[in-house]
Amino acid sequence: MTSHKPHRDTIFLEEAEILSHEAYAGEQYILRVQAPLCAERALPGSFVHIQCDRSKPLRRPISIMRASAKQGWVDFLYKAVGEGTRLLAQRKKGELLSMLGPIGVPFKLNPERSIPLLIGGGVGMPPMIFIAETLAGNPAYKPMVILGSEVPFPFKPQPSSILVPEMPEGVIASMPLLDDWHIPSRLASLQGFPGCHEGYVTDLARHWLSELSMEARTQVEIFSCGPHPMLEGVAKLAAEFDLPCQVSLEEFMACGVGGCAGCVVEVETATGPAMKRVCVDGPVFDSRTVFPS
Amino acid sequence: MTTTSDSPLAVDFCGLRFNTPLVLLSGCVGFGEEYTRVAGFSNRDAGAICLKGTTGAARLGNTPHRIYETPEGMLNAIGLQNPGVDKVVREILPTLDFTETRFIANVSGSTIEEYEEVTRRFDDSPIDAIEINISCPNVKEGGVAFGNDPAMSARVVEACRKLTNKPLITKLSPNQTDIAANARGCIEAGTDAFAVINTLMGMAIDIESRTPIIGNNQGGLSGPAIKPVALLKVHQVYQVCRDHGIPIIGQGGITTAEDALEFLIAGATAVGIGTALFYDPLICGKINRGITAYLERHGLQSVQQLTGTLALNSPRPARTCC
Ligand SMILES: Cc1cc2nc3c(=O)[nH]c(=O)nc-3n(C[C@H](O)[C@H](O)[C@H](O)COP(=O)(O)OP(=O)(O)OC[C@H]3O[C@@H](n4cnc5c(N)ncnc54)[C@H](O)[C@@H]3O)c2cc1C
Ligand SMILES: Cc1cc2nc3c(=O)[nH]c(=O)nc-3n(C[C@H](O)[C@H](O)[C@H](O)COP(=O)(O)O)c2cc1C
Ligand code: FES
Repeated sequence: MTSHKPHRDTIFLEEAEILSHEAYAGEQYILRVQAPLCAERALPGSFVHIQCDRSKPLRRPISIMRASAKQGWVDFLYKAVGEGTRLLAQRKKGELLSMLGPIGVPFKLNPERSIPLLIGGGVGMPPMIFIAETLAGNPAYKPMVILGSEVPFPFKPQPSSILVPEMPEGVIASMPLLDDWHIPSRLASLQGFPGCHEGYVTDLARHWLSELSMEARTQVEIFSCGPHPMLEGVAKLAAEFDLPCQVSLEEFMACGVGGCAGCVVEVETATGPAMKRVCVDGPVFDSRTVFPS
Repeated sequence: MTTTSDSPLAVDFCGLRFNTPLVLLSGCVGFGEEYTRVAGFSNRDAGAICLKGTTGAARLGNTPHRIYETPEGMLNAIGLQNPGVDKVVREILPTLDFTETRFIANVSGSTIEEYEEVTRRFDDSPIDAIEINISCPNVKEGGVAFGNDPAMSARVVEACRKLTNKPLITKLSPNQTDIAANARGCIEAGTDAFAVINTLMGMAIDIESRTPIIGNNQGGLSGPAIKPVALLKVHQVYQVCRDHGIPIIGQGGITTAEDALEFLIAGATAVGIGTALFYDPLICGKINRGITAYLERHGLQSVQQLTGTLALNSPRPARTCC
């Protein structure tokens, strides 16, 4: 029989009005919708399950980038990669989007680790931005953000006003919004964008970690979201430096609420391999359990 | 929705009272609690809930990708991921609230012995009814699904029937030539009811990599794309069931009250909702309201009056022209 069931009534179905929908290079879009129930409860790492269009009714998962509990809006950054996201890209300001959220186990900050290293790649940047915003103005944490993209960034990179002596010379480009929050960030790309590290985010992160004092290094915890090969690299880096690391994973989804077991990934557990659902057991996992070395 | 005993939506299904004719389908709603995460969703909006396919031992299931959207539907190949019958009976069933709805086990297996083992365990549990998923491959017969062959189907039903007095529902596969003949055999073997239909097998291909998108290469097609096929199968199975008073849970692509009504008219006593929940998790309330409005509009006191009311046309015999 039931007693208290804490999972009940934690995800909300909303008809979210599109407040703005901006296109960026590389078929990237930043979408803001009015979804107050989701905005109030969203946490870094949570995602929503969006019906891109009535003609393609199976929903698509998209991470939350920012949320204003006060004003009730939620922001997303997504890339049009297939039929669903291309249909989403056509939706206009003022239209309603059917949205289910917030969903998922969020990133967990550890008070024992005061230096969160946030590594985001491509459309894996949103959860990193969300973590950064929750840390803005919090003197207990000194985060470092490293973002990578192989298409132009969906913001105008600018030389950072925050000095990071551990970064290679010339790597000065940053995300202005993060600078505004007084959070240091640096960018990486193989495309040779000015002020960016020419290479992988993991190379830049390795450089930064190597330059840190031993003491500072013991304070680092890595948080990451991005393409699978990048996350594999990040997990390797974490293992190399013996750092805890949380990664946000992707898999195709149907229900988004734990009902269909369609979205699983293989995870190492104390009792052997298990298939965990990305939607409600994740999307955030301990990197050692999904990329065992 | 709370319904009273004289509710027009209530149905009697093998002696079980369903609050509404809606049955949440196996594999779409985990082990009965998953959808309650969604605010506004209530297990009470469904007459019954079929739990995920359960096997003797725990199964990890197939490698991803397990699901993919296709025109008007989706493919799935989950591979019966489940914690095994023992864990389901000992750890999951005690957490379910049987006052909210009826819970139906979905028994699956690779051998007749496994079907027997799982049925035996569920028989000795609070579960309300047992659905046999005969669409599983028979490992002893080269992997052909039990349900694709009338003799094998009947053998599974007969074996399970001996082990339980709980209502036994046989879930028929559309991937066979003569579903009515199969149904006849299952009735003789002792089934109390049918679920019609399970998914149709299908495939999707990534043309860049020239590989199937689904990890298991093939998967079951569900959703609106299969609705016309499902309706015809329900109609055909109903012809066999009618005289035996054997009820059918009609399913396959139902997303609206109108779809549900079509299945009831074709011969179903209850109707299954699976893929539609993925589209709209609050669909049950809407379908219940739609059916209620239809009953009022047609002056019917109970949804049970609709079952099998299909009046067939009388097509002209084939004629040559001129
Ligand atoms: C928890 C989570 C959070 C996500 N957050 C974001 C985000 O913030 N921004 C963003 O742009 N994307 C995000 N994604 C990925 C996004 O869901 C997929 O890009 C989208 O579902 C593709 O749908 P489609 O119909 O456009 O593509 P389809 O036509 O279905 O497929 C086109 C291509 O996309 C790939 N694809 C399909 N589904 C997924 C998927 N779920 N994950 C990864 N690749 C997929 C396929 O391999 C195929 O190559 C997230 C995925 C998950 C699981
Ligand atoms: C993701 C998924 C998993 C399923 N798993 C099972 C299962 O374990 N056992 C079973 O008998 N049917 C299973 N089915 C079939 C459904 O119960 C149902 O018969 C079928 O999907 C048709 O209904 P629909 O079109 O409303 O989804 C599954 C279907 C889906 C979509
Ligand atoms: S998408 Fe259905 S369980 Fe995760």
